[in-house]
Amino acid sequence: MSEIIRREESGEVAILHITSTSVDAISASAIAAECREMRPITVLDFSEVSFINSAGISALLKFVVQARKGGFKLFAMNVSPHHQKIFKMVEMSRFMPTIEERDLAEYR
Amino acid sequence: MERVELSIPSNPVFERVVRASAAEVGNAIGFSEERVEDLKLAISEAVNNAIDHGNKREAGKLVAVVFEIDGEKLEIRISDQGDGIEQLDTSRHVVEEQNLESGQLRGFGMYLISELVDDLEVSSSHRGTVLTLRLYRRSQL
Repeated sequence: MSEIIRREESGEVAILHITSTSVDAISASAIAAECREMRPITVLDFSEVSFINSAGISALLKFVVQARKGGFKLFAMNVSPHHQKIFKMVEMSRFMPTIEERDLAEYR
Repeated sequence: MERVELSIPSNPVFERVVRASAAEVGNAIGFSEERVEDLKLAISEAVNNAIDHGNKREAGKLVAVVFEIDGEKLEIRISDQGDGIEQLDTSRHVVEEQNLESGQLRGFGMYLISELVDDLEVSSSHRGTVLTLRLYRRSQL
């Protein structure tokens, strides 16, 4: 298991807690590698993430690609207002909408 | 005018050093928290461009970053030692279905910079490229 992502799985749901504070050129490849093991409902948790740049967005898009290939649902959770703004700028939120933790219950 | 200068090797790990410095400079001149985040991201993109596309990660080439602060604005110049570029594309670049299908998952950097700063200039020659970013104090009002 990679140290950069802590996995929490329950039924069809996988919550991937990103433990790196920076989703950038340095952490991108390790984060992207985790997209190989997605569940039908996969949630990326950004609660510990304080910085995301375009290299990080490229890594996150690998989850989007994998989700589309597998017919999975992909969500983002605990996205800061700044990162919500950036996701909206590049229209990432169309492909990885945000979800509240309380709303995950319906999938479990 | 106050001036802070940094010079880093062409290794992406040192982009984090510039980013941390940008945060300190932004805080020191009283930018809002959101403005500091914008500054960090714009500089991160510019420095990564200089490392990857300018210097092509050649170990012997440096990226120079100069912060200049005056009463009106913060100006940042990011210089590489590459062969220069024809032009930078700052046009709107968003995630699109056809790009996901073709695996083109990069290329957001210049668009993000252009959205996050007030002013952007590029000068390039066979001796390298200089990207100048300006953030005016009025922008946080």
